[in-house]
Amino acid sequence: MSPKKLATLGLFTTMSLIIYGVECAIPPLVPIPGIKLGLANIVTLVLLRDFSLRDAILVLLARILLSALLFGQALSLLYSLTGGIVSLFLMALFHHFLRKKEIVITSILGGIGHNLGQIAVALFLTKTIGILAYLPFLLLSGILTGCFTGFCAHFLQGRIPRDR
Amino acid sequence: MFRNRSKTAGRLLLLIFLLAAGSLAAIFIRAFGFFTKNDGKVLIADLYQDGALLTSINLTAVTESYTFSVNAPGGGSNLVEVRPGEIGIREADCPDRICVRQGYIHTSLLPITCLPHRLVIQLRTDNTDQIDTEVPDAVVR
Repeated sequence: MSPKKLATLGLFTTMSLIIYGVECAIPPLVPIPGIKLGLANIVTLVLLRDFSLRDAILVLLARILLSALLFGQALSLLYSLTGGIVSLFLMALFHHFLRKKEIVITSILGGIGHNLGQIAVALFLTKTIGILAYLPFLLLSGILTGCFTGFCAHFLQGRIPRDR
Repeated sequence: MFRNRSKTAGRLLLLIFLLAAGSLAAIFIRAFGFFTKNDGKVLIADLYQDGALLTSINLTAVTESYTFSVNAPGGGSNLVEVRPGEIGIREADCPDRICVRQGYIHTSLLPITCLPHRLVIQLRTDNTDQIDTEVPDAVVR
């Protein structure tokens, strides 16, 4: 990895950390565990489209690990890690099938994947089937927030220098 | 971006719409279930921690509010408040306190969950007290 690439990815990681930190300061809009805007996903989407999957994975992992350290939510590390990885996997898969167009659809699928991953961890940890009652709410919120972050990434196209 | 949409994109959009519609339908069906037939039934709260049933409370029989605390195995506790016909978490030392913000529940629409302490409070209706007081005239589902 060239020094320039390292610096660029470092900047992207900082950017997503700041977005994540700001989002953490916003009180949860809906009192349902797992529902949030997921604004930091904008950075992942931009990296996936304008850079490469490898760069997106690196920045995502760095952001999740650093945010667990910085914002002291080590308990939620497992949730964000699983949600983030499932989401990125789905996004990479469908981004490829969509021939790198339609970033909004990719983002919606990522949002759904994130919430599915989270509820899977929650099921595993609480061992209570009853929390599946949250599933329709989580699916809906994943679609809505995915739509929002997707449009953000769409309008960022061309405003952030691409990888060369 | 709305023109010349590929076949894959169209299918995925359809799938997303179906998922959204299905979720909305599921929410409405569940929500309607409670407002219609809740008469003469007993409301029971089940407290689960780590998937094990801690205790069951008959909320219909509660006449005065009381609180008790539930200690999580890995440290931390939740102060559960039981009121006549409803239950909620009043205090908790988890980082996000979403369980407190979920307020008091009186239907089984959504459980209260404290993910950091792996505590779930779920409501269910039961008609056990009807069995000994009156003979069921019919069972219609």
